[in-house]
Amino acid sequence: MHIKYESFVREPLVNSEKDYHQVTEDIISPIEKKPGRMWYVGFLFSVALLLYGVFSVSWSVYWGLGTWGVNKTIGWGWDITNFVWWVGIGHAGTLISAILLLFRQGWRTGVNRAAEAMTIFAVMCAGQFPIFHMGRVWDGFFVLPYPNSRGPLWPNFNSPLLWDVFAISTYFTVSLLFWYSGLIPDFATVRDRAKTKFRKMTYGFASFGWTGTAKNWQRHEALSLVLAGLATPLVLSVHTIVSFDFATSVIPGWHTTIFPPYFVAGAVFSGFAMVQTLLVITRKILHLEEYITIGHLEAMNKVIVLTGSIVGIAYLTELFMSWYSGAWGEQAAFKWRILGPYWWSYWAMMTCNVVSPQLFWVKKLRRNIPFTFVMSIVVNIGMWFERFVIIVTSLYRDWIPGSWAYYSPQWPEVGFYLGTFGLFFTCYFLFAKYFPVIAVAEIKFVLKTSGENYKRNMQAIENQSNEEFLHEVETDHASHEEVAHH
Amino acid sequence: MNDRFEIPASLKRNSLALIAIGIITLLIGAFTMLGGDVYDKTRFWIVLLHNSVFFLLISVASIFIQAAVALAQGSWIVAYRRVPEAIGANVWLFGIIALVIMFCIVFGFDVKGVNPIYEWVHPGNDKILQGKSNFLNKGMFAGFSIVTVGLWAFFGRKFRAMSLAQENAPKNNTKIYWKFFRWSGLFLLVYGLTQMSTTPWLWIMSTQPHWYSTLFSWYTFASAFVSGMALILLWVVYLKNQGNLVLVTKEHMHDLAKFMFAFSIFWTYLWFAQYMLIWYSNQPEETIYFKLRQQGPYSVLFYSNFIINFCMPILILMSRPSKRNYFTVTFMAMIIIFGHWLDYYQMIVPGPMGSHWHMGWYELGIFAGFVGIMMTCVSRTLARTSLVPKNNILLKETIVHLS
Repeated sequence: MHIKYESFVREPLVNSEKDYHQVTEDIISPIEKKPGRMWYVGFLFSVALLLYGVFSVSWSVYWGLGTWGVNKTIGWGWDITNFVWWVGIGHAGTLISAILLLFRQGWRTGVNRAAEAMTIFAVMCAGQFPIFHMGRVWDGFFVLPYPNSRGPLWPNFNSPLLWDVFAISTYFTVSLLFWYSGLIPDFATVRDRAKTKFRKMTYGFASFGWTGTAKNWQRHEALSLVLAGLATPLVLSVHTIVSFDFATSVIPGWHTTIFPPYFVAGAVFSGFAMVQTLLVITRKILHLEEYITIGHLEAMNKVIVLTGSIVGIAYLTELFMSWYSGAWGEQAAFKWRILGPYWWSYWAMMTCNVVSPQLFWVKKLRRNIPFTFVMSIVVNIGMWFERFVIIVTSLYRDWIPGSWAYYSPQWPEVGFYLGTFGLFFTCYFLFAKYFPVIAVAEIKFVLKTSGENYKRNMQAIENQSNEEFLHEVETDHASHEEVAHH
Repeated sequence: MNDRFEIPASLKRNSLALIAIGIITLLIGAFTMLGGDVYDKTRFWIVLLHNSVFFLLISVASIFIQAAVALAQGSWIVAYRRVPEAIGANVWLFGIIALVIMFCIVFGFDVKGVNPIYEWVHPGNDKILQGKSNFLNKGMFAGFSIVTVGLWAFFGRKFRAMSLAQENAPKNNTKIYWKFFRWSGLFLLVYGLTQMSTTPWLWIMSTQPHWYSTLFSWYTFASAFVSGMALILLWVVYLKNQGNLVLVTKEHMHDLAKFMFAFSIFWTYLWFAQYMLIWYSNQPEETIYFKLRQQGPYSVLFYSNFIINFCMPILILMSRPSKRNYFTVTFMAMIIIFGHWLDYYQMIVPGPMGSHWHMGWYELGIFAGFVGIMMTCVSRTLARTSLVPKNNILLKETIVHLS
């Protein structure tokens, strides 16, 4: 065993008196109880929204996309805005699981499970939009490049829209595998505690017969490492390629080289905001305040202020370059964006994404739960407007003044969007009921270094001199090496 | 754990020799080039510009990493944090050198009414340059540059001072720790508004003033940051070889190597984003940048840049054992610094020099001079205090750190 030590300057990641059993008890027991009334209300409301979405989409497919507000000039409207918005939200989970893992940020263990689940649901929602935007959705399989059925006709491999198909489906697959492989040991824990036969059977299935042997864990670790390695570039690739959908064009406002990293930063920004929205509620309802502490929320708020500021630099850079370029098309695009009939969307974006997150420089506000909740929603409103600004306000004043247009969504588009909320929350409610919302095994892994009661005992180490401590660590290492040699 | 570094005679001798080479090169350069044609004169100045900007930006990366680690509450760097502190505390010197050179170029370099490096100094009848003159003008350039260098120099010294002050604070007192935290947040803001945006536009991008790319500053950041981490690694290995930095283990080296690996790929990501988008949309006012570099007289540098800075790190640093091998990481750190020095060369030189570029005695001699300055001043700063921050709040964590 490595010496368990963490500096007193860090907040505990698990509060109050906890041992391994108590952790299991706290996180698994909600699965075993009947959900409260609020759960049913929320769940049924989500299902209703989902059904309304199904109706709106069916309407659009049956009557055709003429039922939408998009027109010849503004060919992408709410559909693609919502697509990009949901994909962006679906970035936090894998960022937390993979990149924060690489950066050894211990606080990820409290939030990664819910964030990964949220990621998967968000990507599912996102995927609906391009599919139904095709119009003749029954021909949707044309995006898949398989030979010998359509004569010489192939998808256009030069198109970033096609790269998107690959990027997002790969991302979805790897995220799902990553999430699920983490769930296996926890499902086994649910199975082992199960009092009813049905539960034992289903969670037994779901845990793939996990027995918790050393070999099980060894393979599990190896798999997690491979998936984390794959997931890291994937997180970057997805929104990068989404940004290519715009930036490879020659449309002022779309064609700009900063798009790839700036889209990724914005995606992380909105993803973390959505995680906050969900976790602020989840921790309260499931009484998980000791695992998702204020410290966790504060850490995520720091990520929000950082990424919000990065996005802010990108906005200002774009704006500056449109002037600096000396290209009249660029200059006009930004003039119409900021001062044209859609001015309100630009300023909503700026306020919500750049200005208001700056309040998180104040520690008191970072640790204030109601404020965090409100801000998390503000950020996602802002990020929705960002996509709307990029898409609609770059298109509506195009090269020929005669084709200038204005766009407002029609009810099937709005219904479609609401329907994806239904889908998202239906999935999330089911997740919160049937899945361990916190990674039990991972919390146990950090418990003895970062649990409050364990940290209290580290006071002895804090008082030790550096030399004593170093000596202890070295003899500790030496003794292990000896064992290893034998 | 009093870990004092005494500058070995060999280091003193070698660094002074390098500085001497630099000065001699400069003098010979002045005599042979300043009397020559426009390209000779330009070569004289632009090589100085290239090196001073490169060395300044990779030193500032040391301040950035301190701030980033402080905000993330990382303990891995504590075992050798005196190294980035010492580099950061010498930013003022590189800053002044760069300012002097840039001001000579902007205010004093004139060949028949034209400034061959910063063409925008005399916009003449050029409509595009006239349009940019609210930003690209001498006053703006001087103001931005002075403020930028001043702030960087201040933060570099401030960070070291705060870290040293911790040594005299009561044991386990966190006052300075949180103070450092707050100043770090402020530095990120400064860094965002300088290195990540305005500074590279003025200093580097404006050598080809008709061309623009929104990604440009982030790209220069990636380049400077990865070489800055490589620079820290070289110092750590050197000090380790001298018997110092007792707390540094392979775990810590592994971390630094991971940074070199990961940010080499990050650099490539930005390289690709900028290149691919410009190539794909194929607009002449943008492709001119790559036309000159990829298909013009700089194609050797263009491809070397990619091979050295991407292919080599990804292939060599991918495996875990190679990141924990002192020889491999040292070799790769030198490669990365050289590679990004080339990268900066091909950002700065092609615009003004066109096909008249050189990579010869003058370029390498000036480079040697800057290396000598870096070795002399950083080693002197390092020798002033113990290399172990004994009273650092996170010291014990860095002792048990596993990569």
